[in-house]
Order: sequence, then structure tokens, then C-alpha cells
Amino acid sequence: MEKVIYSLFLLPWLLALLVFVSPFHRLRQLITFLSFPILTYLSFKVWNLKLPLFITPPEWVNLAVTLFDYGLLLYFLYQGIKFRNFLVSVLAAAQLFLLSWVLLIIPHGETPPIYVDGLTTFMYFIVATVGSLICIYATKYMEQEDLDRENRFVAALLWFLGVMNFAVSVNNVEWFFALFETTTLASYVLIRFRWDSVSISNALQALWMNQIGGIAILLALLFGIKYYSVYSFTDILKVNPAVTSMIPLGFLAIAALVKGAQMPFHRWLLGAMVAPTPVSAILHSATMVKIAPYLILRLSPVIKGTLLAKLLIVTTGFVFVSAGLLALTQDNFKKILAYSTISLLGLMMLTASMGSPTAVLASLLLILFHAVVKALLFMEAGVIEKLFKAKYIEEIRRLVEKAPITVVFISIGFMSMTIVPYGIFMAKWLTLEEASNFLSHGAYVGSIIFIATGSVILTLLYFKVIGVMTRKRGEFMRFKLEKLPFIYLSTAGLLALFTIVGSIFIAHLSADFVNAVVASISSSPAPVKASGLTLITPLSEVYGWQIIGAFILLLIVPIFAYFVHFPEVDRVYEYTCGERVETTLGTYNFFCVSQVEPLIETAAVALFIITLVLGGGLI
Amino acid sequence: MELKKFRKKSPWILHYNTGSCNGCDIEILACLAPKYDLERFGILNRGNPKQSDILLVTGPVTKRAKERLLRLYFEMPEPKVVVAVGACACTGGVFRHMYNVENGVDSIIPVDVYVPGCAARPESIIDGVVKALEILEKKKKEIELPPYCKVPEGEKLNRRKLLERCLEVINAGRRS
Amino acid sequence: MNWEALVFTLFSPVIGGFIYGLERVVRARMQGRVGPPVLQPFYDFLKLMDKRSIVIHSFHAFMGIMYLVGTWFSLYVLLSGGDLLIAIFFHVLSLAFLVVGGFSVRSPYSILGAMRELLHMVAYEPLYVLTAAGLYLVTGTFQISEILNSNEVPLFVLPLVFVSILLSLPTLLKKSPFDIAEAHQEIIGGPEIEYSGKFYEAVYTAKWIEYVYVFFLIFLFGGGNHLLGAFLVLFAFFFFNLLDNVTARVNFRQMVAFHWYVLIPLVVINLMLLALWRG
Ligand code: SF4
Repeated sequence: MEKVIYSLFLLPWLLALLVFVSPFHRLRQLITFLSFPILTYLSFKVWNLKLPLFITPPEWVNLAVTLFDYGLLLYFLYQGIKFRNFLVSVLAAAQLFLLSWVLLIIPHGETPPIYVDGLTTFMYFIVATVGSLICIYATKYMEQEDLDRENRFVAALLWFLGVMNFAVSVNNVEWFFALFETTTLASYVLIRFRWDSVSISNALQALWMNQIGGIAILLALLFGIKYYSVYSFTDILKVNPAVTSMIPLGFLAIAALVKGAQMPFHRWLLGAMVAPTPVSAILHSATMVKIAPYLILRLSPVIKGTLLAKLLIVTTGFVFVSAGLLALTQDNFKKILAYSTISLLGLMMLTASMGSPTAVLASLLLILFHAVVKALLFMEAGVIEKLFKAKYIEEIRRLVEKAPITVVFISIGFMSMTIVPYGIFMAKWLTLEEASNFLSHGAYVGSIIFIATGSVILTLLYFKVIGVMTRKRGEFMRFKLEKLPFIYLSTAGLLALFTIVGSIFIAHLSADFVNAVVASISSSPAPVKASGLTLITPLSEVYGWQIIGAFILLLIVPIFAYFVHFPEVDRVYEYTCGERVETTLGTYNFFCVSQVEPLIETAAVALFIITLVLGGGLI
Repeated sequence: MELKKFRKKSPWILHYNTGSCNGCDIEILACLAPKYDLERFGILNRGNPKQSDILLVTGPVTKRAKERLLRLYFEMPEPKVVVAVGACACTGGVFRHMYNVENGVDSIIPVDVYVPGCAARPESIIDGVVKALEILEKKKKEIELPPYCKVPEGEKLNRRKLLERCLEVINAGRRS
Repeated sequence: MNWEALVFTLFSPVIGGFIYGLERVVRARMQGRVGPPVLQPFYDFLKLMDKRSIVIHSFHAFMGIMYLVGTWFSLYVLLSGGDLLIAIFFHVLSLAFLVVGGFSVRSPYSILGAMRELLHMVAYEPLYVLTAAGLYLVTGTFQISEILNSNEVPLFVLPLVFVSILLSLPTLLKKSPFDIAEAHQEIIGGPEIEYSGKFYEAVYTAKWIEYVYVFFLIFLFGGGNHLLGAFLVLFAFFFFNLLDNVTARVNFRQMVAFHWYVLIPLVVINLMLLALWRG
């Protein structure tokens, strides 16, 4: 049993090492490709084990983790001094101090430090499938960018997968801190990968922002030990928040907000786009930021219904809306994706902090589909960048004439985040109906407003981009499919396929598979049932024919667009009042929103502080 | 076909000013206003050539307007009729033979109904439109071409090419 | 299979056409005109059948047809008595076709119009979601068929919600003062400008179906009392025609601001007070 879990941590590291040392490109590709079946198989094995599973590794591991912690923090300190970055070094020093303090007062507990339950396995699955697909994609991407450094890059990505697997299965908060900081290190290394001045400064920014999360965890640990002398997640879940202090939980929630790049700490995730695109893909989808909703989900049984949870709902809901609004003002494709990640992370945490089984189900569905879709979108962003040399919205104008397949993939990605039959929409729908039960609570009414407004703003955003891509000249007659490298096509195709199939079978997916995870997080499964393709909730149902109908409507479009041409019908020019003008058509830039950006950020800071102070019970 | 009957029940108008003094335009708008109420006949002012059946043209067609006029004409789907409103549009009116005008709409596009008057009275405009409706009912669905724009036998040209061809002719000044 | 709903959906263009014809007559009378015959929209329909078709490119023309199909399907989703929220979001799906169609041509008016269409969505969408939550609060269900059979009359307990829905009707139907996506004098119909002939016919018919869609949402406020529901529909019909006649167009910021800062708070006040009252 334990071996399976250990191999989930260690195998990616082993593969990373092999990739690092292997001299040939093909060999590296082969090794990377192996990670996909191996990790998926191992995750399946864990899924079939009797969960939850407690594992106590040998004693020396504890010492090793502590030593690793110190090494890591000293490395951060060194980086801070080397690049003369005040914040990085000060925060690293503060963490060193706090860590030593924690180690002084930490009591000896019997709780095993590794804990594997449904949620953990769920994350394993995402890492195994989405994460390794991104690694496979990265081999091709790096071939086009810089073959000499490919081995380092892919090795770092694979190593990151192992770290992520480890991070979601620890129980001991001190270990969690170590892995939290390791993911910070990973993001630092990866963002800095291109070694130009912008990359380095963005990497340092990511470093100091994430260290704030580390400090929050250490503080949570300190107060946790002080107030109820526990330092494991499973023990924290047993305390009764009504009688004890909320402070540790508040700090853990803050750590989640920072890691999840919630405003005002969103800059580091935006800065991550200077790195090669697979980095963004892996940070945004399978790993790193997903720690944030994971952490909130872990805590959700205790914080459910408390002031902290309500404040979290308001804060993350606000981020959901305002990150969407700010995305409207961007003209860089990857930045738009980054903002929408921030926004959707807000939604995931919002649903997670609601904490009822249905909301948790919604949160898990969001995590799953968002991982898949964001990976797909970032892969396509990379394709656009490498094959069509476009980074900005202006440059992807009329992309559909050159690259219909890419446009279809991007459209699937965009639509699946807003439009009706897709998984993410279903999650929103579940949340809306759940929140409607608590209309006398301001936070829940707020959540309805936030979800409705935020999703419609995202619709606006995505269709704005789709509109720019699908524009065609009048002379255009028929599509010529572009030639994509096999790896690009297959990885993106798999993800798109999963999005569609998963959404069609959403009823079974949520009732049979995800609900088991829900049961392991909160005490009972969500009251949803599947009959055929119909998803039945206590309040209402989504019929299978509705889902199928919507998919037919959506899928007809690309098929017909390819085959139907109306060759006999007359063609005319666009109406331009009879003038012959050469038009350059852009799109709205929503300048009115960028004017209020400082206000939005101020409000975000205020909400952040309120969450910490009031929710954490600091007054 | 039975459907022909409905052509005259819902004619939609495109109104284009080719450099008129605005006298006739105001009268056209007066037709749409409550006093004369052209909407009684189902007439709507669409302002969009692609959805219109009747082209109401005012003004003597200045040199700059002729190309626009032709483009708008080509953007209208057949069956369609053209009504020249006002003395200017019919013959050039007071502007006739000036250096900057083309002496009436029919030098550029085929006209079906001429509405005289300076400015044309709303009553006569309505009369002209009703006359146009009778013509509209008999029209065919083939592409209509201005008389000066001949396509050689056997050459198959699409709508855009035809437009280019006609534009070439009027810009070269080779009109018969 | 819900046969009643299916038949009603199939005939909805006819009903919607009548509503539109009536609207044109009522509007003409309000302006002291005689106005066209009531059957005028159908004459327009038959005339458009007879026109020679012209297109910009095939994808654009095809999206017009998809808009019709999508709207029709979303109406069936609404009428078949399923979930109200799902039905509302299906409407977004159908609008998406119009928007993508509008974006797909290089015509400035069309692109502006499509963008404004999305802004319309931004304005009214949250309002309708909140309304669905309100109807749930009153009747205890999201299923439309059960809302129509409940004993409660949502109008009496959700008056502010009804008022705000009434005031946002012009946004949904693109009538003055919130007709910015269509704005005939300004952008000549927005996303529908480049359609002509049979393809415009599809868009034209889809708009009739939208009338049925919207008035059915109003009808829900009568709850189990169908007579009251019918009266509300009639009232809403006259009210928005009046509004259409007496107001001028606002710009998109004013529209979104009005919805977000006036109508949504109204709805929220109503919902929260009611929820608190009921405990
Ligand atoms: S006909 Fe008379 S009123 Fe009409 S445009 Fe010519 S000059 Fe003006």
C-alpha cells in the first residue's frame, strides 16, 4: 500500500532525473511519455485502496524534511541577497525565525504525517493526467524553443508533479509548509527559466508573494500548537470552532488566498507568463494554484458556516468578479487567461468555503474541469505563439482563416467556462441553487450576485476574444485545416475530448465518481443522483436531452462551417455606407474599467484584511 | 408564384441622398411621420440596403456620390425598384449641367419611377412609391444591371465582379 | 416528452409574430398613426422568402440560422417545465450564435452591435438569475412546471422583483431606452445588419420567438394564478410599448449602471427582507 503512495512521489522525481541525464531528444520524449500511463495507473491503484489511509514514514524522514526546510529557506535568503531583493530576503529570514520557533515548541504527536483520502486521490488524478500531458507537450514546445535546455525544463516540470503529489497527501502542517515552499521554489525556478531581466524580476515577485503564504502557514502552526496543541489537518478537523479560536484557521485561509493568487496577491501569477508557455499551463491547471482550493476544501468541514467562511465567500466572490473585469482590459492572450484563472480560483474557493456537500461537489467539479480546460487553453496559447507568432489579441485577428483547428480548440476551452452544457457551468448551477437556500444571509445573496455577474463578465470576455479570432474577410471561401505537430494535436485533442465527454456524462461523473470524494471531505455525499444522462438534485434536474441538445447545437457549428458553403448564393461586400474604405477593426478595450483598477485593488486589500482580522478572530 | 403577392405588402425602404438640398429628404421623412404614415402600407425605413426593396434616391448625383450609389444599388437583393424623388433626381433639376453633377439618377442606375417636384410633395412621393410597388410585383429575380454596363455573352461573373466592372465603367467616363 | 410544450414551441413563431404585429399597431396608435395591419410581420416574412439571397460568407449566414434554431430550442427548454436557471442560461447559448455571427464579418456596425449585445447580457443576466432565486424562495422549487402549479402568487411577495424585471424588459427585447445593440439610427440593427433575404428571415423569426420567451417569464409571476399571469403579460406588453415610445436611447454605461446599481439592489432588498421575514 505504502509503496504505491511513495512511488507516486518518487517516480516523477526518478523520471525527472532520467530526462535530465538522457542525451537524446527522442529518448527524453519517450521517458516523459511514460509518466502519463504510469501515474494514471498508480492513481487508479490508490483509488481502489481502502481509504482513508494513514502512513507513518520512518523517523529520519521527519528530520530530513526539517533539514530540507532550512536549506530551502537559506536558499531563498541567498537569492534575496544575490539579486538585492529586500522583500525576498527579509521574508526568508522571518520564516527562518518562525520555523525555529515552531520546532522549539512542537509537541510530539502520534498522528501519522501522511494521510491519503478521496480528495488526495482526486488531486493525484489531475496531476497524473493533466500534468503529464503538459509535460509531454513541453517536450515538443522546447524542441522549437531551445533544444539545449529542454532536459532541464522537462525535468523541472516532472519533478514538480512529484512535489505536488506529495503536497496534497501530507497531514502534518509542518511538512505541508515544507512542500508549500517547495512549490514556491518550483515556480521560482520555472518562471526564471529564460534568464532575462523581466523573467528574473517576475520570478522574485512570485517568490516574495508566495513567502507571505509561507509565513501565514507558520503563524497558523504556531497558534495551532499554542491554542489546541495540534499540528495535523486531521486533528484540526476535530476541534470545535465554536469554542476555540479561529486564528490558525484564519491564517491557513490566508495562505490559501495567497497561493491562489487572489487579489491583491495576483501579480505573481500574471508575471508567470514570461516563462515558456508550459510553465503557465502547469502552474495554472494541474499544480501550484490548485493547492489553494485544496487547502480550503481540507478546512471546509470546520470553517463551514463560521464568520470566516462567510468572509471568504465575499472576498473570493469579489475576486471572481473583479479579476474578470480586469481581464477585459488586457490585450495579451496569456494575460487574459491568467486573469481568468484568478477569477475562477476565486469561484473554486467560494464554493469550497460554503462547505455543504453540494457546494463541495461544485468546487471539485470546478477544479477538475478548470484544470483540463486551462491546460488546453495554455497549450493553444503556446501553439499560437510558436506556430503563428501571435501574442496579442490584435495579432490573432482572423486566426480562423489560417488555423481553424486551433480556433475550435480555443473556442471549446472558452465556451466550456461559461456556456450551458459544460462542466463548469454545471458547477455554477449547483452553487447557485445551493446558495438560494440561504437567502437571508448576506454572504449567500452576495455569492449569487457574484456568481451571476462574474460568469456573465467572463462570457463577455471570452466572446470578445472568440469574436476577434473568428472574424473573416468577405473574400474567404473555404477552410483549409492547418498542419499541427502530432504532439500538439494529440495532447490538446485529448483534453478537449475529455471536456466534452465529461460534460455529457456529468451526471455519472458527479454522482458516482466525484461524490465519493465529497463523502470523504464532508461527512455525507452530496444529494445528487444520476439516471441516464439526467442529473437529479433535490431541488431540480438537468435533463439528458438538454445536455445533448446543447452539444448538438454547439458541435453542428464547426461541422457545418467546414462543409456548407452556399456556393450558388451571391456574395456582396460588408455594408460600409457605400464607401470603399480599408477598415482596421479592433475590439473594445474597456478603458472605463482600467480607470477604476486602483479602486478595485483597494477594495480587494480591504476585504483581505477584513477576512484576516474578523474571520481569523483577531479582534 | 403566390409569394409575389406579398412583395407589395411589405416594401422596405432605403433612402439615399446623392447631394440633394435636403428639401426632398425632409418630405420623405414627412411621409413616414404621423400625418401621412407610410407604415400603413407596411413600409419601414430600414436604412440598410441588404434588407430593402425600394431605393428612394434624392439629389442630382454628384461626382462623389455616384460610386456610393452604385455600390448601394448592388448591395440590394433583387427584386428591387428605384424611385427618383424630386426634380434633381429625375433630371438634375436646378443643378443640371453643372461641372460636379451627373444629371439625374438614371445616368448611373436604372430608375423605375420618377417623382417630379421641387421639392416633391409627400402625396406625390406616396403616389410614386405605390406605383413602384406595382412594378415591384412584376420584377424578376435576376441581377439587374445599369444599361451602360454590358457583360459579354458567355462570361459568368459573380455579383462582386459585376460591381467592379460597372465601377470601372463609370470611373472611366465611358458611358454611352 | 412534453407534447403540450412541443406544440406550443412549434407554434411560437406564429404567436410571437402576432405579438410583434400587435406591437407595431399599438405603437402606431400611441403616436397618433394608423399603423400597419396586424398580420404585417407575416407579410414581411413571406416577402423575405421571395428575395434573392445574398451573403457575406457562408459561416455568417449559417450563424443566423443557428440563432433561430438555438432560440427555438431554448424556448422549448423553458416551456417544457424544466429548471428555470437552466432555461435562462440556454438563452445565453442562443444569443452566443448571434454574437459570433455578428463578430465573424469585417463590418464595423456588425462588430459594434455584437459587442453591445454582450453588454446587454451583462446587464440583465444577473437580474434574471436573482429572479430565479426569488421564485425559488416563494414557491420552493426551480422547476417551472411546479412554479406554475404552486399556491403562492410570486407577484404579491416579490413586487420589487417584478418592477425590476419590468424595467429590464426593454434590455432583453432591445427596445428603447435600452436598444443600444440594435440602435437603428446609429448602427443600423447591429449584429443583424449583414443578413439579408432568407437568412435575415431566420434572425427576424428568432426575435419573435424571443417575445414568447420573455412574456412567459413574466407569466411566471402569476404563479398558480394563471389569470393574473395573463393580466401581467398584457400589462407588461402595454407598459414596455409605452416606455419604448416615450424614452430616448441611453448609452451602454448608463444601461449597465442602471441594471447593476438600481435594479439589482431592488431585487436584493426584496429577497433579503422576504427571506428574513420567513425566517
Ligand atoms: S428637387 Fe428641389 S428640393 Fe429636391 S433636392 Fe432638388 S433642389 Fe432640393
